[in-house]
Amino acid sequence: MLLTLAAGLPLPGAGKIFPYPYVQQDLPNGLRLITIPTDYPNIVSLYIVVGTASRNEVEPGKSGFAHLFEHLMFRGTPEFPPERYDAVLKNAGAASNAFTSDDYTAYHATFSKEDLPQILSLEADRFQHLAYDEAAFRTETLAVLGEYNKNSANPASRLRETVRATAFRTHSYRHTTMGFLADIQAMPGEYAYSRQFFDRYYRPEYTTIIVAGDVDPQRVRTLIDERWSTWKHGAYTAQIPAEPAQNAPRTAHVDWPSPTLPWVAVAYRGPAWSDDTEETVALDAVSRLAFGENSPLYQKLVIAEQKVDVLRAGPPEHLDPELFDIVARVKNPADLGAVEAQIVATAQQFAAAPIDEKKLQDLKEHLRYDFALQLDSSESIAHTLAAYVALRHTPESVNRYYDMYARLSTEDIRQAARKYLVESGRTVVTLTGSAK
Amino acid sequence: MKEAALSLLLATAAFAQPRIVELPGKSPLVTIRLVFTTGAAEDPANKPGLAHLTGALLGGGGTKDFTYKQILDAMYPMATAVEVYSDKEMTTFVGETHVDNLDKFYGLLRDMMLHPGWRADDFARLRDDSVNALRVGLRGNNDEELGKEALYNAIYSGHPYGHENLGTVAALGGMTIADLQGFYKQHYTQANLIVGLAGGYPAGFAARVRGDFAALPAGTPDRVDFPPPAVITHNQVTLIQKDTRSVAWSLGFPIDVKRGDPDFPALLVMQSWLGQHRSDCELFHRMREVRGLNYGDYAYIEYFPRGMFRFEPEPNLARHQQIFQIWIRPVEVPTAAFSLRVALFELDKMVKNGIPQAEFERTRSFLTKFVNVLMKTKSDELGYAIDSAYYGIPNYNEYVKASLAKLTLADVNAAIKKHLRADNVRIVGVAKDTGKLVAELTGDAPTPIAYNSPKPQEVMDEDKIVAGWPLHLRPEDVKVVPVASVFEN
Repeated sequence: MLLTLAAGLPLPGAGKIFPYPYVQQDLPNGLRLITIPTDYPNIVSLYIVVGTASRNEVEPGKSGFAHLFEHLMFRGTPEFPPERYDAVLKNAGAASNAFTSDDYTAYHATFSKEDLPQILSLEADRFQHLAYDEAAFRTETLAVLGEYNKNSANPASRLRETVRATAFRTHSYRHTTMGFLADIQAMPGEYAYSRQFFDRYYRPEYTTIIVAGDVDPQRVRTLIDERWSTWKHGAYTAQIPAEPAQNAPRTAHVDWPSPTLPWVAVAYRGPAWSDDTEETVALDAVSRLAFGENSPLYQKLVIAEQKVDVLRAGPPEHLDPELFDIVARVKNPADLGAVEAQIVATAQQFAAAPIDEKKLQDLKEHLRYDFALQLDSSESIAHTLAAYVALRHTPESVNRYYDMYARLSTEDIRQAARKYLVESGRTVVTLTGSAK
Repeated sequence: MKEAALSLLLATAAFAQPRIVELPGKSPLVTIRLVFTTGAAEDPANKPGLAHLTGALLGGGGTKDFTYKQILDAMYPMATAVEVYSDKEMTTFVGETHVDNLDKFYGLLRDMMLHPGWRADDFARLRDDSVNALRVGLRGNNDEELGKEALYNAIYSGHPYGHENLGTVAALGGMTIADLQGFYKQHYTQANLIVGLAGGYPAGFAARVRGDFAALPAGTPDRVDFPPPAVITHNQVTLIQKDTRSVAWSLGFPIDVKRGDPDFPALLVMQSWLGQHRSDCELFHRMREVRGLNYGDYAYIEYFPRGMFRFEPEPNLARHQQIFQIWIRPVEVPTAAFSLRVALFELDKMVKNGIPQAEFERTRSFLTKFVNVLMKTKSDELGYAIDSAYYGIPNYNEYVKASLAKLTLADVNAAIKKHLRADNVRIVGVAKDTGKLVAELTGDAPTPIAYNSPKPQEVMDEDKIVAGWPLHLRPEDVKVVPVASVFEN
């Protein structure tokens, strides 16, 4: 397998869940290139995945910098100042943007295939030669504050912030990707730190380029060699502090200043994401079978009794150990406690006894079709791969993850629930609105 | 090939009901879009929200034979679902399935449309969802969407478009299943249905769908010749008062231009240059990038709901009447009045000076290619094809490319002068301290801005004009409403 990768030959697509052959190559400077010719004509989607995000924000007072950087990357270079950069993208008819998660930052653009050489030049230039002055920096920090403001009207944002800040005390997952409000408000004074951040992380060894669409891999490799091989390898590794074990349940409450429906979040400390143990897929299965639309709890609370109008759960899918969380929006504040108790009881049931085998088989079938339905454009193919590439640097991780799922047993699910959905690792946060 | 096939199918539409738009292909995925050309414009005056709730119940409730739970259970292994959304003139049901499961999925979808169960528990749940979407989703959680929706409702006051699609809390409370059944009987007809099919469905499938949906009453198409909205004779401001961190603005006025009209391509170029989301438009550049006022500032000539979560509107929100709107994402309280003035200043500048030649060329080039990106999935392409059938224009990709190729800068600037203006504008703000804002908007004193970094002289000079930009607001032109009253009655 390694030899195949090194030679840059297409990997076999048959028999694996990811249906497209792809080419994975490493440049001498550490930059990884993944090219996927798809059967969608004329369009190319480019995803540049950088392995830095809010997880890397380990210094006090510096939360939100990875996300700020996502903004600053649009502030230009000596060769392509913002106006020229935008003009090139505009001439290409490109839809371009970026996003930041807890573990990675992704820059993406989708455009007509004839514009690939120019867009790769443009991106190579800004990743190597980003230049912004302090005045532009200070202005951009205000756009980030504006983004915080846009989200702040929604109580679900505050709920998420509070769950993180309560469940974590040491690890940088303590703050959300946006960062703490106080840190965002202090950003304008941190110009020097921003340059340091760029110097540390915007390096080839942190970066993977995904090119999906109407492309020839050899031609893409030539274009990448021409434009990206001058990028210099860096020397920085962040020391991410480990979160100590949680030994007792924690709770917190948010008083929302205006009327809203109450929320409850139940979060359990979970493991790091993995495609070589059953734990990650087992907890994913719990999130769907215990709390998904077809689960008995959802059917009871949302469809039959109609006490809850939102119920969803997310398994831990992070580089470091993170949370298995369940959130519910409750129609009547008087039901908040009972809903919390039913969520906890459902988690306990999954730990107590294996589920019905038929339900697991239905889930496995659902996931196979769900994955196929996701891949409905070159952009969605690149977008889907970006998440796996951020975790394991290779699209092969998709196949490994779904292979693990295919082997998953009802006993594996019970074991994972018993290990992680425990009282001592639990954090419960409630949020209620004002009467008027 | 595809273009010819599509035109042929549309050409036959006049002779067979329901109309079918087909985009056959080799993909193992099949998309079905059922668009009923009916919506909130057909709500009875005392039952706003009826069209929306009827669509919600069809797409989110059980059938005669199956409860909603049984439908969810049946769809689960197939990883399929029915998505429903509705607007003034269209109610849309979308499903996508792997071709392996087409028969089973289509059977469920068909029964949901043709044999609804009208169950009381589904009705109660979905009516609650509507009420919560109004009170919590719009009023509580999303200031910018609240402002945008309130702007539309203000502009179309007294017009068939003049209420929220979701309705009002009071009207929803009085609604019955019989009301929904009455709406269904009258408006879910063959004449109001456009079926869209895309992907690798088998030969004969379209004929089967047509045969099945011939069970609907033949009917006559819903009206599209609505009266014009009221003329706006002054700047008018509505401030929605709520406890919030920042201030969101929306402003605009009706335009007599829709897709397919002669000036539409010219205004499309204007929109893209002035305010298309995330394409470094002029408003975004002057307000966010130069001044750091907020997260983004946009302008549109077609209805664009759910903009908080999307970069382009979904297809199948076609309307025969549209407005020009500017959408200013939440700004900090001290710069709220200034931000509104910048937007009006930029609008005024564009109306007076038009668009520069180089920007016209660049924007036209962008749109000519961007139309490919708009149709990156088969479902999107199908949605646009259905809209084109509704508007009576060639497929959207061809329509945009052909009309832009013929367009000149003079056409664009003439259309701007003809249809746009920077006065007689309806303005909606969502803010906490409305008293201070009213004083700033109606007073004579300028509302300057203080920056956290040095700005070029050109910006400082412009700011002096902006800070005192006249709003010509008389006391009676500004109205403050508590958020708790919005969408209630």
